[in-house]
Amino acid sequence: MAELTINGSRKELDADTLADVVELLGLGGRPVVAEVNGEVVASEKWAETQVESGMKIELVHFVGGG
Amino acid sequence: MTEQEDRYSRQVLFAPIGDEGQSKLANGAVCIVGMGALGTVLASHMVRAGVGRVRLIDRDYVESSNLQRQMLYDEDDAAQSLPKVVASENKLKKINSDVTLEKVFADVTPGNAESLLKGMDLVLDGTDNFQTRFLLNDACYSAGIPFIYGGAVGSRGMSAVFVPGSTPCLRCLIPSADSGGETCDTVGVISPVVDIVASYQSVEALKWLVGDRESRRETLLSFDVWNNRLHELKPVPAKPDCPCCGLKTYPALRREEETLLSLCGRESIQIAGHAPFDLAIWAEKLAPATRTVKANPYLIRAELAEGGRLVLFEDGRVLVQGTDDPVRARSLYARYIGN
Repeated sequence: MAELTINGSRKELDADTLADVVELLGLGGRPVVAEVNGEVVASEKWAETQVESGMKIELVHFVGGG
Repeated sequence: MTEQEDRYSRQVLFAPIGDEGQSKLANGAVCIVGMGALGTVLASHMVRAGVGRVRLIDRDYVESSNLQRQMLYDEDDAAQSLPKVVASENKLKKINSDVTLEKVFADVTPGNAESLLKGMDLVLDGTDNFQTRFLLNDACYSAGIPFIYGGAVGSRGMSAVFVPGSTPCLRCLIPSADSGGETCDTVGVISPVVDIVASYQSVEALKWLVGDRESRRETLLSFDVWNNRLHELKPVPAKPDCPCCGLKTYPALRREEETLLSLCGRESIQIAGHAPFDLAIWAEKLAPATRTVKANPYLIRAELAEGGRLVLFEDGRVLVQGTDDPVRARSLYARYIGN
């Protein structure tokens, strides 16, 4: 279990990688930009980006309405 | 002080604009694509600020469900089913008669995007879907015109400034146009968040038009006004293999076949591709099969006796309403309009 801060809220997730986090939050395939500890991580690198407790993750889900 | 000087006096007193900025605004040309909630706020700011030319593009007409947040429209506009660009022009010309308003009642497509944006200094995003945003992104980068993105849904909003040659483009941030099914028609939207997004876009538009490049916001702004969150995403580098700003293939513009069928909000499917309609003739043709036919100079709304509604626009587009099923939409279209 990783204890993460995601979009400002603490969450415990059974996730090894950033790709797992995105999937577990139901955002797979959505237009999302991910930032880990203040640095943007390109979507191609999500599967190889390990997550560990204490990380601050920001998932910016693009909104399309107008 | 002339009336003209008085009108802009507070804005001119604001040092970063001043007299010089005001005259730059007067010489500026801005295109607003989509005249819904974002577009009406954008247009209000641009016209009140005295931007010389404002082009308004929208394919839709005013309905009562728009009035909660689309601030230029009223109950009369909805009762008359006026095209949004017509209703907007009626209001905006009373707000500032010095501004040249250019209304375009049409859908932006790969075939017309480049000509619709020609001569514009800036393109402001008032659209409600990513398909059109990607098209505008590609058209803007191809023509070298800055594109100011805005989007909102629920209580969340975002805005970013994309400048060809100096920033990555929308495609560098999100490769796919799939919104994951979250739209204003599925999860709703509250009015303040759209006003805030459009106001952020408008500030960036004013900065760009007066030439204040140093003050441009470089971050991607994202916020949730209900849950009290605001986040600024640092700029990311442009992707060298981005099909738009890297490889310059502009895929949305090069799409050979135009999308003839598109979802257009809840229970509304647009079918394009018909020749322009002679609305008077079509109102008569449809009368026997319809409960009521409502017409204005721009469109016909026919309530079908079997249920559902057809809206025919002069430019050949048809909205099939009352269904989310493309097959049913095609079948109603075939039955009443032909193939």
